[in-house]
Amino acid sequence: MAKAKKASRQRTSAAMYLMLAPYVFLLIMFGIVPVLMAIHEVPTPSRVNADGGWDAFKIVSQDFRFLPALQHVLQFMAVFVPLTLIFVIGMALMLDIKHSKWKKYLRLAYIVPASISGGVAVLVWYVILQPTLSPIKTPLSWFGITTSDQIWQTKNLYWIFALMAFFAVAGNWILIQYGSLQSISYEILEAARMDGCSALQLALRIKLPLIKKYIIYMGVLIFAGGLQLFVEPQLLNTGVYAGIAEAWSPDQLAFELAFTNGDFGGASALSIMLLIPALIGALIVIFKTDMFDEAEVSGKQKVQE
Amino acid sequence: MSNLLASYKKTSRLRQESRWATSLVNLWLIAFALISIIPMIWLLLAPTKSDADLTNKNPLMFGRLGGYIDAWKNLQFFDDGVVFQWALNSIWYTAAIVVIATISASLAGFVLTASNIRFKKVFLISTLIMMLVPPMALVVPVFVLMDQLSLMDNPMSVILVASLYPFGTFLAYIYYSTTIPKELYESARLDGCNDFRLYSRIALPLSWPLISLLSFFAFIGNWANYFLPYILLPSSENYTLPIGLGFLFYSTPAINPGVGATSVPVYKPEIALAGVLIALPIMIVFLVSQKRLVRGMLSGSIKE
Repeated sequence: MAKAKKASRQRTSAAMYLMLAPYVFLLIMFGIVPVLMAIHEVPTPSRVNADGGWDAFKIVSQDFRFLPALQHVLQFMAVFVPLTLIFVIGMALMLDIKHSKWKKYLRLAYIVPASISGGVAVLVWYVILQPTLSPIKTPLSWFGITTSDQIWQTKNLYWIFALMAFFAVAGNWILIQYGSLQSISYEILEAARMDGCSALQLALRIKLPLIKKYIIYMGVLIFAGGLQLFVEPQLLNTGVYAGIAEAWSPDQLAFELAFTNGDFGGASALSIMLLIPALIGALIVIFKTDMFDEAEVSGKQKVQE
Repeated sequence: MSNLLASYKKTSRLRQESRWATSLVNLWLIAFALISIIPMIWLLLAPTKSDADLTNKNPLMFGRLGGYIDAWKNLQFFDDGVVFQWALNSIWYTAAIVVIATISASLAGFVLTASNIRFKKVFLISTLIMMLVPPMALVVPVFVLMDQLSLMDNPMSVILVASLYPFGTFLAYIYYSTTIPKELYESARLDGCNDFRLYSRIALPLSWPLISLLSFFAFIGNWANYFLPYILLPSSENYTLPIGLGFLFYSTPAINPGVGATSVPVYKPEIALAGVLIALPIMIVFLVSQKRLVRGMLSGSIKE
């Protein structure tokens, strides 16, 4: 009896652990265990890595598809990441210049393309970039594009996927960055205006520096997401133009290694190689920005009042 | 006097310039709004038309409402009406994920704020890491795991993996720690409230905005998810709509020039209808919840 009383006085009861259990179970089982299993899987012998061992990393990086896939995804990122960042920030700043009621309808419109992703994006972009079907037939013809094979070639794919990915995420981020701009205090903006700041100066000198951490946050999420390009090239390759994007992205290569070649060691090695940049990005956001200060995990304690 | 006049002229010119600039900016903002909705308008209009009309007539022209019904009937010819099964699968997998993810995240967020549990910091940091690492990076390892657990081709595999919801746990943690004062828990404890009741009687009734936020993000993240079910559910009867759409691309001549003529009447209007079934629910949820999107993504750094 006394023991039970003592236990209930302790700060953390069994009930608390029980309530945390479902999440912790999922986190360990499907977050941490898969990574450990992937690491464990790498050195298992396979057809390409007959002796087994950590050479799997080397063997994957020497695969004839590895460098092209890496190059494709880097080309894609070189278009997608800066295009999205600059465009989103520009749009958010423009929306923020003057508040009018009608602009709320614009924000609704911007969010519409976010519902077009994956297979639906492939379908819609197939139509948009198909001169016989396209709702933008005339603008396409200004660029001399009249047949679909002028567009749908492997060398153009990084542009096409960048456009798809851009439209799938830009609207959401415009709204989010517009929201982050609303966090800037009115006094700061008014003081800058009194000092004679123009709208442009206000945007570049005051607003941008104040939302820097949100921009970094967006940059990391966009970067990490872009690196994992899979659905669009995979569907285009299997369902529309056969062979146009075979093992085009590293994720597709990992998929092909695992499910076509049965080389799970190689696929795991590649997965880990792709995980590392995403992990570094995550750690930068957590520890090098104050994005998650409220969570009090970065070691930078808030000043107690 | 002339100085004054000159400076007056200068400011009025500036004002005019800025009015020009503002109109130009507004024009651009409107233009991008139009660009944003054109693809969706095409998609929504496509099932109202016949395959031939899609090519021959104005792409943004309305056909007839009955086109939707015809397209749906035609889709039923594909594999004995498997499309209906895909829609049901999509609904029930997503519903199960939304429920499990929302409950587990809300509970975890509550425990992390209301208790001094051991390894709290470790949980929080691993949650943040999981939240920022794209889930696709783990798909091949997850496949290996599911294979060993003999859960391949079992919908539970997708439901369980997708229910891991670190972003939700983080949202819940921030929500509880910023909206419910710790003193409230303390006084409830003094009144003899145990920890289960602390959650069900105090935290939960105060957190309906959080629950709606969690369900919103869980829904938009999973309704159109492709990679996970694609790898874990190989049988056609277990497909979700997004996987089914890919399968339709692959096995009908609608947009795949590699497939010859078939007896199944699935062409562009039918494929577009399948696309509408995936995109429309997401669009509606986005439109009614755009404030939740912004609040959720910025929580933890902006105090309300």
